[in-house]
Amino acid sequence: MTSLSTQLLVLGGGATGLGIAWDACLRGLKVVLVEQGDIGQGTSGRYHGLLHSGGRYVVSDPASARDCAAENLVLRRLARHTIEDTGGFFAAAPGDPPDFAERWREGCLHAGVPATEISVAEACRREPLLNTQLQRVFAVQDASLDSFDLLHALVEAIRSAGGEVRLRHRVTGIVRESDRIRGATLQPPDGTQPVTIHAEMVVNATGPWARQTAALAGVDIPMALGKGTMVAMATRVVNTIVNRLKPPADGDIIVPVGTVAVLGTTDVPVEDPTDLRIQPWEIDLLLAEAERLIPGIADRRPLRAWAGVRPLFRPTQTAGETRQMPRAHLILDHAASDGLPGMISVIGGKLTTFRLMAEQTVDQVCRALHVESACRTKDVPLDPPRRARYYALPDRLRHLEHVRPRSLPPEVICECESVTREQIVRALASADTAELDDIRRDLRVGMGPCQAGFCAYRTAALAESRAGADLGWLESFLEERWRGTRPLAWGTQLRQMELTRRLYVELMAMRHEPEAS
Amino acid sequence: MTPVLVVGAGLTGLFAAALAGRRGARVTLLTEGRGGLEISHGCIDVLASPLSSVELARLPATHPYQLAGVERIHHALDLFREIVAEQHLEYRGSADSTLSLPTAAGHTRSTMLAPLAQSAGALGSQEPFHLAALDHFRDFAADYAAARLRRSGMPVDGVVRLPMPNLPLNRDLYSTDLARLFDQPAWRSETLRAWRPRLAGVRRLGLPAVLGLAHSESARLKAEEHLGIRLFEIPTLPPSVPGLRLERALRHAAFAAGVRLIEGAHAVGLVEATYPGSVSGVVSQTAGGPRPYRADAVILATGGLLHGGLLARARGTVQESVFDLPVAHTSERDDWTADSPFATQPYASFGVRVGGGFRPVDMQARPLFDNLFAAGGLLAGCDRSREGSRQGIDLVSAACAVEEALR
Repeated sequence: MTSLSTQLLVLGGGATGLGIAWDACLRGLKVVLVEQGDIGQGTSGRYHGLLHSGGRYVVSDPASARDCAAENLVLRRLARHTIEDTGGFFAAAPGDPPDFAERWREGCLHAGVPATEISVAEACRREPLLNTQLQRVFAVQDASLDSFDLLHALVEAIRSAGGEVRLRHRVTGIVRESDRIRGATLQPPDGTQPVTIHAEMVVNATGPWARQTAALAGVDIPMALGKGTMVAMATRVVNTIVNRLKPPADGDIIVPVGTVAVLGTTDVPVEDPTDLRIQPWEIDLLLAEAERLIPGIADRRPLRAWAGVRPLFRPTQTAGETRQMPRAHLILDHAASDGLPGMISVIGGKLTTFRLMAEQTVDQVCRALHVESACRTKDVPLDPPRRARYYALPDRLRHLEHVRPRSLPPEVICECESVTREQIVRALASADTAELDDIRRDLRVGMGPCQAGFCAYRTAALAESRAGADLGWLESFLEERWRGTRPLAWGTQLRQMELTRRLYVELMAMRHEPEAS
Repeated sequence: MTPVLVVGAGLTGLFAAALAGRRGARVTLLTEGRGGLEISHGCIDVLASPLSSVELARLPATHPYQLAGVERIHHALDLFREIVAEQHLEYRGSADSTLSLPTAAGHTRSTMLAPLAQSAGALGSQEPFHLAALDHFRDFAADYAAARLRRSGMPVDGVVRLPMPNLPLNRDLYSTDLARLFDQPAWRSETLRAWRPRLAGVRRLGLPAVLGLAHSESARLKAEEHLGIRLFEIPTLPPSVPGLRLERALRHAAFAAGVRLIEGAHAVGLVEATYPGSVSGVVSQTAGGPRPYRADAVILATGGLLHGGLLARARGTVQESVFDLPVAHTSERDDWTADSPFATQPYASFGVRVGGGFRPVDMQARPLFDNLFAAGGLLAGCDRSREGSRQGIDLVSAACAVEEALR
């Protein structure tokens, strides 16, 4: 067993954990962050892509609405490259409760969420596919935020500030010494030696796994998990985010993201953070609800469905008032709640307010460590990754079109997402890459209409020289892509799935079992 | 001359049209687009094991092979070999044994009839070979394939990297681009000259299947002669040139048999029958409106779920796309697919049931029309992927449908 020590150990590489590590690095703490899988593999990478204006919460949770409105402006300033300023609508569909609009407008005023009513005709002029029978429409400052972009920028920011980010390190134990948390033991990938990281302070930011993580320290966090399913339509049916103007409910939003539009979400209680199974009724419900905003959307092609698990804090009857915290997220200092110093758990929250959560958490960390240092994350912009990854489609097209005279044009490996050989080779060289799915999260390979039917083979070929790539990378990647299209297996999508299957099962004769090593 | 309408121009429709034409029918072939041969390896998979009455007896009673019987299967395959050979596309193998061929992903694919260019790479012999990686060509991964073939004990000596001089590199290359270039003698000679120095010590070379489209046999033979080694081909990611060569040969055979081809015809329904229990043609949707095509017999070869003969709906129904014939399927959408793309897929055996005369039947197994026949990917009662029977079912059901239609 190897060991090392640090000041702050952050468990969990989602937006919350990365935000905390980044904030702590900027305050001069020595930080190590560990993530059990890849960046963006958990809830942060499984969301619909909305940077909240706050409008969604003005009636049900005004405090959250205020936080969202403030953080929306901060993130637009700090992480501009991850945000597409689509703007948003709140639209009352035919049959939506007519009195809600006024309550909502009042709520916006009180919470400081800017909202302007526009005519239905104007809304339909801006978004031609919208239902012309809408009752009312308000414009808000929603935007589309690419979480993969944001998380990668955070990783780079942490590393360049001297922090350490370790992927594929699963927490197997919490080190407890004389009734204080002193660190954690971790299992690195491929059966290498376990690592013990000693830390003055541990932050548990493991999202839906927070309860399991805390249990390793012998404490219980009362939590509930809610699975939310989303469907990406194969085309960008709207350029503006469209929310239903009614109390929050299943299927109340459409978010344009890159080349697709995401329908969100459902909310189904689950027991296990890995329970991401999608039921047919969820898909039917999302399409039926979207149909009320965009008539005919159900006849268009859905491309992929996925689910994320929201962690929610659920205090018991006996919970003390320390838990009467903002509803959106909870920062639980186990010194106060369980008499066990050395660990803070962060539960809940949303991507829009990740920076605020991080600030509040690190404030508590600093108090516990008797460090006096003010939060700086509001003032330090997150740089785009040093080597442009060409996430946005216009950048990718520019990269392809503007080739220097007499040089070879870039070889496109993934036509749907315009990913070039050079980009994939570079991503493959990164130590953070341990499977083809990591390259997908980095570069969007295989996320377009063909869902990797063609590029999976080409990408696997480029990966061939990499250690470990022979252990069924191609098979696993195809299985992963298949899973997300299964809930949508009818019409055009089923044809696409069958095409992929024909290529690999019949043309290439690939078999069920990944090849033995 | 009996007027016959064939709907669909994939392997099944082209073969049926050519056969009916050769038997003296006046054939009209209606097709909306191109059939599925562009994604085909160009081989004929009949069954995973050699054909025998014992093997057939293992299949369900409603399986197209059971309806056809061993003799008609052999006969259909013989007709196929004869027809394509006339178009200078020679196939090797038989239904009595399987050929084991390497694939672009380094697996071995079992088939029964293979074009000469592929059968030359059959893995039966332990004679070593190299694989060729062509510069700038993404759709054949020689290193990937070689590593896996070697791991399963195949005698792969190595990978040779072959330069591609004189490529029009203004965009990404597809296999059809290379195949058309190889059809040009001047381009071919120049490329082979550049290859020659790289081939020292190579006696047998597996190349991606790009050696010519219209003149593939001569392109390959010229290349063998020029390089002084034996060459064989392995199908690439689509567009798959061996499938396109087969499509080309069958189209030529159909034209030679007097078949009239109407493209861009979206068949939408039947022409009202003159008497109950029969059809008198097909209505097709054209830019100018619906247009009837009349015939004494109609052979439906529109393909399965992939090619548009069957339409799967979100509400859990599956429709036959032209006549709305009854389709055998399960109704829970959630049960249509399996967990893994590599597993047996329940949807793969959805389709139209036919009786002994290859006429679509109702739920009581009675023929719906006396002059409507169905063949190919549309048919229920079989799982082509699992059985390794896809092209065999296409050819056999096409031959049977023609025989019944002209009886």
